[in-house]
Amino acid sequence: MTPIIQTQGLVMQFPGTLALDRLDLTIPAGVTGLVGANGAGKTTLISLALGLLKPTTGTIRVLELDPGAQGPQLRAQIGYGPERNLLPDDLRAYDFVRHLAEVKGLPRDEARTRASDSLYLVGLGEERFRALGTMSTGQRQRVKLAQAIAADPRFIVLDEPTDGLDPVQRDEMLNIIVQINRNFGIDVMLSSHVLEEVERICDNVVALDEGRLVAQGSMIELAGASGGIELELVDVADRPHAIDEVIGSLVASGATVERTGFVLAVGGRPDDELFDIAGAAVAAAGARLRRLGQRRRTLDDLFTGESGSAASIDPPTSAALIDGNPS
Amino acid sequence: MTDLASAEPPQPERAAASIVARGFQRYDGERSGVAGAIRSVAWQSIRATLGIGRAGRNKIFPVMSVAISYVPAIVFIGIAVLIPSGIVDGPTYAEYYGFITAAIVLFAALVAPEVLVSDRRNGMLALYLSTPLHRGTYLASKVLAVGATLGLVTLGPPVLVLLGYTFDGSGPDGLGNWLVVLVRIVVSGVAISAALTSISMAASCLTDRRAFAAIGVVLLVLASPILASALVDGAELSVNWRLLDVFSMPFELVFRIFGEPGNFPEVSTTAVLAVNIAWTAGGLAVVAWRYSRFVISR
Repeated sequence: MTPIIQTQGLVMQFPGTLALDRLDLTIPAGVTGLVGANGAGKTTLISLALGLLKPTTGTIRVLELDPGAQGPQLRAQIGYGPERNLLPDDLRAYDFVRHLAEVKGLPRDEARTRASDSLYLVGLGEERFRALGTMSTGQRQRVKLAQAIAADPRFIVLDEPTDGLDPVQRDEMLNIIVQINRNFGIDVMLSSHVLEEVERICDNVVALDEGRLVAQGSMIELAGASGGIELELVDVADRPHAIDEVIGSLVASGATVERTGFVLAVGGRPDDELFDIAGAAVAAAGARLRRLGQRRRTLDDLFTGESGSAASIDPPTSAALIDGNPS
Repeated sequence: MTDLASAEPPQPERAAASIVARGFQRYDGERSGVAGAIRSVAWQSIRATLGIGRAGRNKIFPVMSVAISYVPAIVFIGIAVLIPSGIVDGPTYAEYYGFITAAIVLFAALVAPEVLVSDRRNGMLALYLSTPLHRGTYLASKVLAVGATLGLVTLGPPVLVLLGYTFDGSGPDGLGNWLVVLVRIVVSGVAISAALTSISMAASCLTDRRAFAAIGVVLLVLASPILASALVDGAELSVNWRLLDVFSMPFELVFRIFGEPGNFPEVSTTAVLAVNIAWTAGGLAVVAWRYSRFVISR
């Protein structure tokens, strides 16, 4: 399948700051999370993809087009939701979305209809004639999403779309983004520094750190099963040493154990053997088991894993994990 | 035998309207491309400047500025209609601008900052540049918006005077002469709009404060005649130093377009034309240079 974004040796140098350092990445179709701390280079990558900036060296192609040379043609197919919450306060949401749909080439009547449709889709149907300046942060984020999709782009880029939202609003926003991709086939790239939300909705992940590519690949590969099992025990009053006894049995069986409170991460042997060993150890110690399952890696591990380095994570089958130091 | 068809109860007349149940859906129709984007941004800018679709307080200043520029036209037409010909002579078409110069300059000082500065302050610039527009086409749409809006006060009032005089029977004789006057009015209006568009946009691209930009335009336009007068009349330098007078030169060009000597007959028409072209090109160059240096990253 044709990649949405492809870069080769992409470098963006600002005066005194190397924003992106020799980035080689391929972003396939679907919902892609662009993750990294503030200053990691996410917004710079988005700006390059939109043709707002020209790379210092290297190449970037978006939807098989060069943003520098074919910018207008490319941007007609892209929707963009900026990070900044600045919007023209005295414009009504409907007028704002309609106008930008027209700028992206829709005929006036179609822009009117689609402005309403988009605002209904993001849950602002009843609020669409309110001035932007009177809207809450959550509503303004939805308006930004509505204007990004109103002209029916092939691909939308959302820069921190959940910034400033409370947990409920965040859930709703993420659900809408997934719906846009699944129901209408619009590919999405969203940047975020909240790993949990990227894990929740993204098919693919690109992780940046200080301008360098930390990891890229599918979510299943990067944050899926990591090898090993995890069991959570219950504190039992009449068996105060039960957990220590379980750990002792596991270690004696050749397994490695890492304890965090009542949770034991167990590895060192094949998973099916670990399940048998753990079950036997719990029974022998008279401990009570709350949960037993395969251990899962989270995106957080990419950044703050055991040794604090992405390279420390076991390489998954096909996802590309890139060393933090591309020497 | 009963005719079954005729036995059916009469059907209520069907309305032409239909209910279209739609929600968000894909669109695969025509798209207008860059030309449509320029048109749309220009039209939106004109609406914003004139306060159309905005709160009432946003309409006050533009409506007043436009109205002021039309008041002399209405007065002169009224005089022509009410007072017999020969008793009071109205101004020539070129002289008419002398009555609305201040209104035009003030309007220019309002329009360009609203059109340019607002987009930088409210995040629209980044959004526009994520559409088929790039910096050049974006600026083209803004030039179109400022120029067209200024046309309301540079073209409209003299055209109204021409129509008024024509209906009164005191206009140009014959269709040929009438068309010549109309063309001169249009060229004059465009020339004034071009020069003031360029100058006011140049001032507006140098600051993110609309008020500062407006004050800058007014100061530039008001200070330049003082400077030019000081150089020519005070220091007795060459009369060509009059060309520094940004306030007067666009209107001086109008006199020359109408074949009249103007307020500064000692300055050649070629020089007046050249300095207007220079001011226009110079202002646009400043705008282009300034926007090429903006780092727009989000």
